Parts: sequence; C-alpha cells; structure tokens
Amino acid sequence: MNKMNKVSANIVMTCIIIWLLIPLVATIIYSMFDNWTGIIPYGFSFKNYETIFGNASFLKAIYQTILICIIPIVLTILVVLLALFVVTIYFPNLEKYVQILCMIPYTIQGVILSVSILALYAKSGTFLSNRLIMLLGTYCVIILPYIYQGIRNSMHAVNMPMLLEAAEMLGASKLYAFFRVIVPNIITGITVSSLLAVGILFGDYVIIRNLSGSAVTNVQVFLYQTMKHSSTEASAVFVVIMLMTFLITALVLYFQSKNKLEQIQKEGR
Amino acid sequence: MKNDNPAAVKKITNKKIYLLVLLPFLVVVFLYELLPLVMLILDSFGLDGDKSVLFTLQNYAKIFSTLSYKKAIMNSLEITLISTVLGIIIAFMGAKAAHTSRGKFRSAFMTVLNMTSNFAGVPLAFAYMIILGTSGVIRQIANIYGIEFIQNFDLYTSKGLILMYVYFQIPLSTLLLIPAFNGIRREWQEANLLLGGRNSTFWFKVGIPVLIPSVFGTISVLFANALCAYATAYALLMNNFSLLPVNISSMFTGDIAAKPHLGAALSVVMMLLMCAAILIDNYVIKATTRWNVR
Repeated sequence: MNKMNKVSANIVMTCIIIWLLIPLVATIIYSMFDNWTGIIPYGFSFKNYETIFGNASFLKAIYQTILICIIPIVLTILVVLLALFVVTIYFPNLEKYVQILCMIPYTIQGVILSVSILALYAKSGTFLSNRLIMLLGTYCVIILPYIYQGIRNSMHAVNMPMLLEAAEMLGASKLYAFFRVIVPNIITGITVSSLLAVGILFGDYVIIRNLSGSAVTNVQVFLYQTMKHSSTEASAVFVVIMLMTFLITALVLYFQSKNKLEQIQKEGR
Repeated sequence: MKNDNPAAVKKITNKKIYLLVLLPFLVVVFLYELLPLVMLILDSFGLDGDKSVLFTLQNYAKIFSTLSYKKAIMNSLEITLISTVLGIIIAFMGAKAAHTSRGKFRSAFMTVLNMTSNFAGVPLAFAYMIILGTSGVIRQIANIYGIEFIQNFDLYTSKGLILMYVYFQIPLSTLLLIPAFNGIRREWQEANLLLGGRNSTFWFKVGIPVLIPSVFGTISVLFANALCAYATAYALLMNNFSLLPVNISSMFTGDIAAKPHLGAALSVVMMLLMCAAILIDNYVIKATTRWNVR
C-alpha cells in the first residue's frame, strides 16, 4: 500500500516536471539550431547568440534592466527600514497602518497601479511627469509588500528591542545602534527579500510598457520586440533571460537556507 | 496626568522629531500609491471629453451595457476561474506527492518548481509559440505522426491562454501548498488506519478538511495572479482578445483613442472583482477553521 503510494507520487511528480520543462527545453534547443521543422533539429550553431550579443540595443536593455531594478530596491529598503525603525521603537500603535499601506500594492498589482500613476502625472508638467521617475516610483510601490514582509519578519526574529537596549547601555544612540547592530543582523533577510524583488521587477512587462514609452526598455520589452521580427534571435534572448531568472532564484534559495542555518545555530547556542 | 516636568516635555518633542524619519516612507506611499488610487476612483465618475461633469455613473452604465466590455469581463473571469481551478487541482496532487515522497526525486521536483516559478509573461508566451504556434515544434511532430488533438489545437484562442495560465499557476500554487501538507501528521494517518479507515477515508474526512483554509488562501493568490496577468495575454494576442487588464491598459496608453475615465471605471470594476474574491476566500477560511479555535 505504502509502496503504491510512493510510486503514484513519483508518477505525479514526473508528469508535472515534464509538463513544466517541455516549453523551456524546447525553446533552449530551438535557440541552438538553424532549423527545426522535422522531428530532429539540424544545423547546430551559436549564431543567434553571436547576433544578439553583437546588438548594442540588447546590451543597453540589459544595462537598463539592472539599473531600474537596483535603484527602486535600494530606495525601498532604506525607506522601509527607517519607517519600521521609528514605528517599532517609538510608535508601536502606528504599526498596523504601516502594514496596511505596505500590503495594498499586493492587491492592486501592476496594471491598475501603472495606469493610475500615468493618468495622474503624465500631463502634470512637473518633474513627476518624467517617465523614468514615474517608472521608478511605481517599482518602489510594487515591491513594497515583499520588502516590508522580509524586513519585518527578520526584525521579529532578532528581538530588536532587547538588542537596542543593550547597545544603548553601552553608550550608542538608538539610530546608530539600529544601523550598526540591527541591520547587520538582519542583512540575510534583507538580501532574500531584495532578490525576490529583483525577480519581480526583472519579469515586469506591463508597468514599463505603460509608463516608459520608448524612454527606457528592459529585457522583457526587448524580447517582445525581437520576437516580432525573428523567432530564432528571440529564442536566444529568451535563454539569456531565463538564465538570469534562474540565477536570481538560485541566489534566493541559497540565502534562504543560509538564513535558516543561522537561526538554527543561534537557537542551538 | 499632565506633563509639567520639562524633561518629559522635551522627551515628547524629541519623539515628534522621530516622525520625520517616517516622512520618506509616507511621501513614496502618498505619491505613488494612495493619491493615484484615490484619483483613479474619482476619475471613474468623470466623463471622457467633458471636463465639466464631476459626478456621473455613465461610465459604469456603459461598461455593463456595452457588449465588448461585458465580454472583456466575462473572458477575464472565465480564464481566471478555469486556470485557478485547474491550477489548484494539479497543485494539490503535486503537493500531496511531494509530501509522500522523500529523497532525490522530491528535491528534483522542488528545484523544477522553484526554477519555473518566475517563468511567466512574455517569455512564457514566446515559449508556447515555439512549441505550439502555427509552425511550432510539437505541432510539426504531431503533423508527422497525425496526432489530431494537437493538430487541431489553436494556441491563439482562450484555450491557449488557459493552457499558459495553468502553466504559470502550477509552480506558485504547489510551492504555497507544500508547507500546508507538513501540518498533516503521520499519527493521524496511522490512527485512521487503526480505526479501520481507508486511505481515501483519511483524505476525505481528515486531510482535505484540514487543508481547506490553505487551499483557499492559495486560491485567492492564484485568482489575483490570473486576473491581473497582462504580459502573457498581450504577448500572444495583443489587443485581439478582449481581457480586462489589456482593455484597461489600451484605454490609457491609447493604441486607440485614450479614454482615461472609462478606463478608470473598468479598473474599479477589476479591483472590485479582486476584493470580492478575497472576501469570499476569507469567509470560507473563517468558516472552515472554526474547529481550530475550539
């Protein structure tokens, strides 16, 4: 009976694995051959990769993607850290409002947020109508729930009030103690949530399409444009995007397990 | 209690200064979350092309009386609901399998789930075009061997969209459900066996009822995910298939003439759908976790 269960479990998992891998593997193979019209592809070459890496606008798209990922994440982390610092220490009764504000973007998501910001600022004639500023602001809000949860959970895990009290007794100010004692202690938690945020911003298409016009492109927009004129080149772009996505996921998993290990070690002590 | 003590008064003003530290957060949230949302809701009561009208329900009346907008709502709901139900069923089986299994097979399964959890949007639509598009790889193979159901499958319809939506729902929902299965103790299964119950008795009488709150929690995530998905549908069908997020975007960015007020009303409808789904889920979760409180 038990063995039967295991066999059927393995069958279910195999089916799901195959289902999930088919589109990926097929597109990867497709990108490395000249032609695939029969059962077996022929003409193995890295020609597509040479073409896209020789394309200046692809490199520019990668560069811009990295930039518009990093700026909002750094900003949001800083803003949330400061907010959570004052709220937990001085105004604990405000904590639930901060939480609500941080969770709203989770329910409205990209489409509605981006169009509402576009409608409000695009014709305002101030610096807020700058496409890049609109985009960065929207990105900050879209990743807010993830950054907030990551930082709050790790703050709870390190028992912040006690650590701060100890630092104060040794003569440090609260703000100093916060940045020199608390932040280093929760840095793995912050890393995990910022990597999750990278994953989200990296996969964004709707916000950048609605807000940036042609001012900024990311790799997703580049893939969309490429697949309109050449599916073989687009397949190489696809593989590069997927490799970057896997790298981000792998880093998240690595830091998560490291975080768990640290916690276990702390509790063991 | 009055604070006449000067030291105490100073402490309170000091405390107020700390509110300034909260300011950057409030500025970002106000400028890019609250103000846009409030203005969007207010905009939905205005009229495109006539700025003098401040409050009218015409946009809403138009949405619920025009066939194409009704169609967008129905299409969105249909694809969202079907992909959510299929996604949760497959995820349930997958999470159950991962719960039963141990060792290498399980870790391979987890790796694939994690790897594909960010695989959605434009890349997903592109990959499906490569395998199932008009000259797709799998379609070619199906042509050679005469496999009819693949030959007849048209990716560029709602069926194709559902197929892709189910794809991106599976990794996410399975990863969300696996921790819930850890809450099912082996002792319960053993107790069920000792009392003469079958495996199926266990799942129908114990396992599924215990898991229902987590399942519905996951359902609300999946619903939101599918309802708001834009890139996957747009990359495959552009504006040729009527869906809420696609319609909304086009009303603001103006592939056709921009209609921001009507678009705002459609956005409000979409937000209401999201809220309804969350409320229903919360109700079910509350109703099914009563045993837990006792």
